[in-house]
Amino acid sequence: MKKIILLLLILLILLLSACWDSVEINKREYLFALGIDKEGDELKFTSEIPKINEGSEDERLVNSMENKSFADFYNLSYLHSEKVISDRLMQVIVLGEELARDSETVKKIFDEIQRSPQMNRRVKICIAKGKAEEIIKAEIPSNPIVGRFLSDMLVKLKRESYQDIYTFDEAILHLGQRGSALVPVVETNQDSLKIEKAAIVKEYELVGFLETDELECVMLLLDPTNANIRNINIELEDITMAIGAANITKTDKINLQDEKLTVDYYITLYCYVDSFIIGNNSLEDKNFLNKVKDESIKTISQRTTATVDKLKNIYKVDLLRINDKLYKYHKKEYEKIMDKYDEVFAEASIKVHYNMEILSVGLVK
Amino acid sequence: MFNQDITPYQNLSILVMVSFVLQSMLMPIMLTEIDGPTGWITIIIAAILLYLPTRLINKSMKNHEEDTIISISDKLFPKYIAKAIGIYYILMFLTINSLLMKDFAEQIKLMMLFRSPLSTIIIVILLTASYATKKGIQIIANITNIALLVALIPYLLTIIFSTYYADYSNIFPIYPADIEGVVRSIPSTMLSFLGFSVLMFSNSRVSEKGKNFRTNKLFIIISSFLYIGSYLLIIVKFGMKEAANLVWPFVSIMKFVNIPGFFFESTEIVGLCFQMIVIFTSICILAYFTNLAMQETFKTKENGYFIYIQIPILYIMAAALPGMYMMFPYIHMPIYIISGLNFLIPIIVAYLSNRKRAT
Repeated sequence: MKKIILLLLILLILLLSACWDSVEINKREYLFALGIDKEGDELKFTSEIPKINEGSEDERLVNSMENKSFADFYNLSYLHSEKVISDRLMQVIVLGEELARDSETVKKIFDEIQRSPQMNRRVKICIAKGKAEEIIKAEIPSNPIVGRFLSDMLVKLKRESYQDIYTFDEAILHLGQRGSALVPVVETNQDSLKIEKAAIVKEYELVGFLETDELECVMLLLDPTNANIRNINIELEDITMAIGAANITKTDKINLQDEKLTVDYYITLYCYVDSFIIGNNSLEDKNFLNKVKDESIKTISQRTTATVDKLKNIYKVDLLRINDKLYKYHKKEYEKIMDKYDEVFAEASIKVHYNMEILSVGLVK
Repeated sequence: MFNQDITPYQNLSILVMVSFVLQSMLMPIMLTEIDGPTGWITIIIAAILLYLPTRLINKSMKNHEEDTIISISDKLFPKYIAKAIGIYYILMFLTINSLLMKDFAEQIKLMMLFRSPLSTIIIVILLTASYATKKGIQIIANITNIALLVALIPYLLTIIFSTYYADYSNIFPIYPADIEGVVRSIPSTMLSFLGFSVLMFSNSRVSEKGKNFRTNKLFIIISSFLYIGSYLLIIVKFGMKEAANLVWPFVSIMKFVNIPGFFFESTEIVGLCFQMIVIFTSICILAYFTNLAMQETFKTKENGYFIYIQIPILYIMAAALPGMYMMFPYIHMPIYIISGLNFLIPIIVAYLSNRKRAT
């Protein structure tokens, strides 16, 4: 009996040989970037596949095809190539502008990504200004693989807090929890691509864009510790000068009474003088420095007020996550106005009070 | 070898391990039932409620050191009631084990073995688990101890790493808490402390029975901490809305793993491998105690005979039952009943046993 069992086990080993259906790396095609556009009722998928097996890390294949869904795209791609398509190394997904304006299609795409057991939810995401196809097909001499270029760029911008969101994971969590999100916008820029603006997505629908300085103001209110605002340029006594914020602190006071929402942000900017003029000793004068502070605060306050007004009155989107704070810290009051929050937000009094301290005039007087 | 005794700490590992697995499986119920991130209150209440019968049953077990809850009931109740209690535990263990197996098989199919039929995966798990179970409680206890060290701890660490980009303010609002939701989800939370039902059997297999109560208390404390920790990790990572939307929050969280310098292509698969060890060990533990419950109910002398009898039953149940997530809308009433019985049976048995001793 033991011999029979042993024989069966030995035979079983032959059947249990692992990797019998494995596919070698040179028989695979890894999608690095995928652009999705809306073409009538169909979706146009533009994929970028680096030629990783052919000796050059800078060569790529770009294919476009029209399909109904992600699943369709994979199935058809399988029939169009002798290799096995894999999305495990997917770096970035670019959504076309027209597609992003259609909330139902965005929801469908997000759902497919979320359900995919293979695709990592940390795949980066951005919205194209125009067609996603143009972004994927862009020829960048210095870094020909668009997926790699965009991935590196988005990681850098997120790390420096220029943008709020850079992965699919973050986008879906923000949209699910708060109903709105800021998604990076990618545009063509001569022989390259650029990410300056952010798309305002509300309930899975692209409703507008924020320019770079507006985005800076929003990031300042969202993540002041990491916010990376560019210089505050002011003109004082015929001198143009630039002030740079080295450190920022923020406190806020949110009050909801009946249906009246009042929000006060108190921001302190600790600054350095970045540029002045040689031969002028005004920086030694305390009064002059006070004027610099006042002018800088005026400039940045105007910019912030305009941005907040835009969010409140034009887009009616709470990108400042006030609703999230209300839910977490004033749940009882928030539940009373939850259903008409957009109206309450539009009527809200949101004030940003700036304070500035010039820590140093820099390396020269 | 099959009936060799285990040490108190091996008993503790067994209780913590089976509870952890069921807790991660039943967590979506708590996430959907409570409006707000106050599930930890439910866990604390459930743990306190379970402490009472644990204390009582340990007191009565002092007189019946070698007995399980079934053999104690046999001495206290008429034959048909004792048999009914035995059959109840058998059915409960079988149902939970088959649900566990079905979920486990589905996870493996969705994440790793895309082409393998579900039934093949289930049968392979069953055969392997029954082989391990047949080796006896001590082998299972040793596997559990090793699994706890090499799988559960790294598995929890992997989950902690996955909370990169987590919003820690998601643990709010605490006040006003959804009291109705908290109360409603107590039964499922009590049921998810499966170690509480297992200890009714495992305590009789411990070499130093004097330490049983201490071990059981430790189990409730450790298990509660693990459950609260896991619950909060999922909440801070996903937020309430997204967490309630997920079928397997524990598997999904591993799709975010981002360990700097980690060289694996898919870190979630590494996490899934740890989870496989944890679930596989729990299936063995449950199969062993189902066998014990069957042995005691049907009063047979054979050791481990029922492990093989369980295979077709478990296979048919696992194949026939829909996955746990498909059952969520219909599961409330069965959970209330099972949880109620799990809570009441030990209390009644302990009460009668202690009264009998007093007279």
